[in-house]
Amino acid sequence: MVEEVRKLLQDILQKIQGLHCILITDRDGVPLLKVGTDKAPENALRPNFISTFGLAIDQGSKLGLGKTGTLICSYAQYQVIQMNKLPLIVTFITSDTCNTGHILALQNQINPIISTLTLAVAES
Amino acid sequence: MGCCYSFFCNDDSSSQAGEPTERTHLLVNPVSINTTVVHANSEDYIFRNANTLPKKTDEQSALNRILQETATNVIDVAALDSHNLQHHEYLERMKHYNVKVQQVMGNNRNALSYKVKLSLLQDIPMPEKVMMSEPINPEDIKLINSFLSSAVASIQDIKVEHKENLVEPFGINC
Repeated sequence: MVEEVRKLLQDILQKIQGLHCILITDRDGVPLLKVGTDKAPENALRPNFISTFGLAIDQGSKLGLGKTGTLICSYAQYQVIQMNKLPLIVTFITSDTCNTGHILALQNQINPIISTLTLAVAES
Repeated sequence: MGCCYSFFCNDDSSSQAGEPTERTHLLVNPVSINTTVVHANSEDYIFRNANTLPKKTDEQSALNRILQETATNVIDVAALDSHNLQHHEYLERMKHYNVKVQQVMGNNRNALSYKVKLSLLQDIPMPEKVMMSEPINPEDIKLINSFLSSAVASIQDIKVEHKENLVEPFGINC
């Protein structure tokens, strides 16, 4: 079953132009599922980079941003789109030209996988 | 001055606690009320029961509460970086998740499988093989058609003849 899910993510990866990597991690950045191409930058895959999202939304809520659902960071060459599915974090790493709306629309497709994976984290 | 201080302090505690003691003034002094307001904002937690029952634990818990509230409201950027996962811990957890994910996915196979399917159509690995295969014999098609037409005709011929009442009364004697 894991292979099938991985294949689904791989399919998504191939269909969307500019999408380099899909990462499903826990809140500390430890990956549960990971698919990606070699174009994905190494630094963005590090757990301490990914876990920053959790810290940022926690601190952001103190500033009055409220409960953040999605964080989109746009850089010179890449976009990092992170979704709040706590206790999981979904991270998409794309090129700067990738269609951001398309990535956001993937939520519906990914949600059933996330809800199953949440069990793996919750049980531990 | 010491006397004066204790006087205000006493008054402070009695007026804030709301319970009259032997030191409570019968007539309220407006000047002392003004001073209590100043005290009340900043030292409300600490002096609440300062004179009546100087409980150390109450004071301590109040201080802890203030500390906690402040800690939750403060954004300490330097402290955010301190929580880093050790490498071996990271590897351990990754292994653990691998096993867990396999288990959970296996258990929820039914729920997931129809959602994972991308489309109803399936890929054909070698399309040219299918395309190059010989077409069906026209006589076979004719045969299939004739059977089909006779089947359709027989289905259309089915009629329901009703002989008895469709609604049957049960046990209605009166």
